[in-house]
Amino acid sequence: MGPVPLRSAIGGGLIGAVVSIYLALVGLTERFSDLELVGEQVTLGRVLLVLPPFVAAYVVTRPRVVAGVRRVPTPAHGAVAGAATGLVSIGAFAAAIVFAEWFDVNRVRQVFIAASPTLIEFVTFERGLAAGIVLLIALGLVSGVAGGVIRNASPQLRSPLVLGIAATLLMGLLQRIIPVAMRELGVEPDFLYEPSGGLTLAGGIGVFVIAVVASALWTRSGPAARERARSTVREQPATRTALLVVLLALLGILPLLVGAVISEVLGTVMVFILLGLGLNIVVGYAGLLDLGYVAFFAFGAYALGLLSGATLNTSAGAAAPAFSANLNFYIAVIVVVILAAGLGLLIGAPVLRLRGDYLAIVTLGLGEIVSILTQSRWLAPLVGGPQGMRGITDAEIAGYSFRAPQHFYYLALAFVILAIFVSWRLSSSRVGRAWNAMREDEQVADAMGISTTRYKLLAFAMGGAVGSLGGALFAVKIGSLTPASFEILVSITALAVVILGGLGSIPGVVVGALVLIGLPGLLREFEEYRLLIYGGVLVAIMVLRPQGLVPNVRRMRELQEDEVTQDAWANPKTEGETEETYAAVVAGGRLGAEPEEEIDE
Amino acid sequence: MSDGTHLLELRNVAKHFGGLYALSGLDMHVNPGEIVSVIGPNGAGKSTMFNVVTGLYEPDDGAVFYRGESLVGLAPNQITRLGVARTFQTVHLFPNMTVLENAMVGQHCRTKSGVFGAVFRPPSTLREEERIRQRAKEALEFFGSRLAGYRQEQPANALSYANRRRLEMARAIATDPTLIMLDEPTAGMNPTETLELRDHIVRMRDQLGFTVLVIEHDMRVVKGVSDRVIALDYGRKIAEGTYDEVANNPQVVEAYLGTKAAG
Repeated sequence: MGPVPLRSAIGGGLIGAVVSIYLALVGLTERFSDLELVGEQVTLGRVLLVLPPFVAAYVVTRPRVVAGVRRVPTPAHGAVAGAATGLVSIGAFAAAIVFAEWFDVNRVRQVFIAASPTLIEFVTFERGLAAGIVLLIALGLVSGVAGGVIRNASPQLRSPLVLGIAATLLMGLLQRIIPVAMRELGVEPDFLYEPSGGLTLAGGIGVFVIAVVASALWTRSGPAARERARSTVREQPATRTALLVVLLALLGILPLLVGAVISEVLGTVMVFILLGLGLNIVVGYAGLLDLGYVAFFAFGAYALGLLSGATLNTSAGAAAPAFSANLNFYIAVIVVVILAAGLGLLIGAPVLRLRGDYLAIVTLGLGEIVSILTQSRWLAPLVGGPQGMRGITDAEIAGYSFRAPQHFYYLALAFVILAIFVSWRLSSSRVGRAWNAMREDEQVADAMGISTTRYKLLAFAMGGAVGSLGGALFAVKIGSLTPASFEILVSITALAVVILGGLGSIPGVVVGALVLIGLPGLLREFEEYRLLIYGGVLVAIMVLRPQGLVPNVRRMRELQEDEVTQDAWANPKTEGETEETYAAVVAGGRLGAEPEEEIDE
Repeated sequence: MSDGTHLLELRNVAKHFGGLYALSGLDMHVNPGEIVSVIGPNGAGKSTMFNVVTGLYEPDDGAVFYRGESLVGLAPNQITRLGVARTFQTVHLFPNMTVLENAMVGQHCRTKSGVFGAVFRPPSTLREEERIRQRAKEALEFFGSRLAGYRQEQPANALSYANRRRLEMARAIATDPTLIMLDEPTAGMNPTETLELRDHIVRMRDQLGFTVLVIEHDMRVVKGVSDRVIALDYGRKIAEGTYDEVANNPQVVEAYLGTKAAG
């Protein structure tokens, strides 16, 4: 097996088996046994059977550094090691099936309700235990070999293949979205999708081939093209403006292209982009871990309702709230934002002296207070208690309502662009610099003349203002409010959006919201397993890419690498200095954005 | 109130941590335009004195006056704004900000633009930003080519150790101080760099017009720069005077021999 130790193959295979068994026992495998992705044979359930051995083999056969030497397995080594890994993975899974049958699957089912005779039938391909197991093991073996070979194929081959597989599966998964969008565009999707759902066999192969070819072309000329594009954009402001216009135009016609369903999802995504941008100011720029951010979301939504003439739901029908104004949406939203900034100061004031974990706990409590208040009897005359509020303005301008998903999109887009602009301007200003310094080392920032009190409060106020905008938009989107929309999960989701994208990174917030809100929104089939998948994806991304999907420190990393080479060339005299620099760079690179060790004395 | 002839004056300052007296009854002063060195064995209370003056610690007893005004109870950032800048014994930069940004942070307390300026960028803000950049560059250029050119766009944690120390001083210079307080500026530097820094300290006064208060272990530096030397031990002043007076003071000799500290 060449450079791959047998121990790794067995270990990786066992992990694959655990994943398989887990997927089967939580019911995912059986639930999606009929969901056809490509043709009639490739169902999502079957993909879930072969994916664990494949991924395990792919990971196990990666190049390793042994005693300082990087050892890259050949494809043949990869095939052998992948076969071993796949065999262990599927073998252990098969053993579990045999055990369940021997033990009587109905007894297993008393604990694991998903372990049904149907499940056994499905995983043995309805061919009886013996024949089914043989077939299953053969499939696992093949996917293990595939994983090992693809991992160690030349890079020009590897990434196109992986991308091709991923693209085909994704197109198959989006079978409820893409055909609808195609019809919206006047294209009959028959040539690609079966009437019953998944891709046709020909369509699947077509998608795979196109993805592979496109990706191969990009792998060959991509980096050079990217560099060319980058320097063009850098050197020609006119090109940049043109690109921006094209981007805006694309965003402008997007809802017409994608139809109501995706527009609806995009609307939710943009509400969370606003929340993420606001929280990014507090957590990403100023470094204040706020777990009670839902407070601003709720405040924005309810305050907008009250100021724009919504009514309360009561058992006796609609009632006027204790306080109410009938402002135009666009005036109301300005008032809401200003009030939310004030609320930010109120929430910020008591926690000024707290840092890190303590700050997180206290803000968690403050957020919880707000979401409990929305359900409380005490505030019921104002916000309607558990039954909530309805009749919220649709933000119409001259008779044009923004309630429909495809219309709401434009309203949300306008606010998102505004918030991105403000975030961007703030980050590259004296204020942003002060926040940055405070995040890196609060005590030193203070000693260098930055009033940490003032800038903490400012961060809470600005973050609160942007977050309330998200709440106000949300209220317009759904038209009625109940406390169920304002639970602690909102805080956690917003924080996950920011961290997943990369702390302090504006594109990161957009990508984070698209991944965390957009994907689950598109994959409605997974509704009951949404949180499970969500958690898995979060763990995976944070392990593989702790700095976030679009980190804002990358530029600095690149610069650090420059320093090593430049010093080695430019300063042959100061050898000591060069070594120190190198050590510092290595440490800095490994630690990433971690601040230096704690304060003196 | 102080009579105001001293730039900085400490009267009977005490600071203890639990049962440990880091400072007890410390009296000392710094006159405008002086370079004063503070020496003493490890644990003598030198850094604690710095932290009390710059507001990181509040003294348990006694008073600190700067230009006749009490500093006790002020926040560190307010003290910096009054014109007292400092560096730290162990380097404390903003490691992921660029070298230039680090120095620009120093100018923060001399500038004003806020959220409105940041978002709308009126001409006044653009001018101010340009001025901040200019002042920061000037501060970096105090160290000649050491912090010049491409280095200014690099993150601070990519600098060599000696350059980090220099950057910390540049950041302090960028706050436009009257009194600059340097906590062991030559620690960890090699002999050449140490001599270079000795000249820098003198230049800080002669060229930039600062008053300098420096904690230093390297006696060649102390001898080379000091108008006056103050020796601390066990949190109180044990000797004061010219370098020769202090170096020959029996109590100082005993303090150093007793602990065998740096020489």
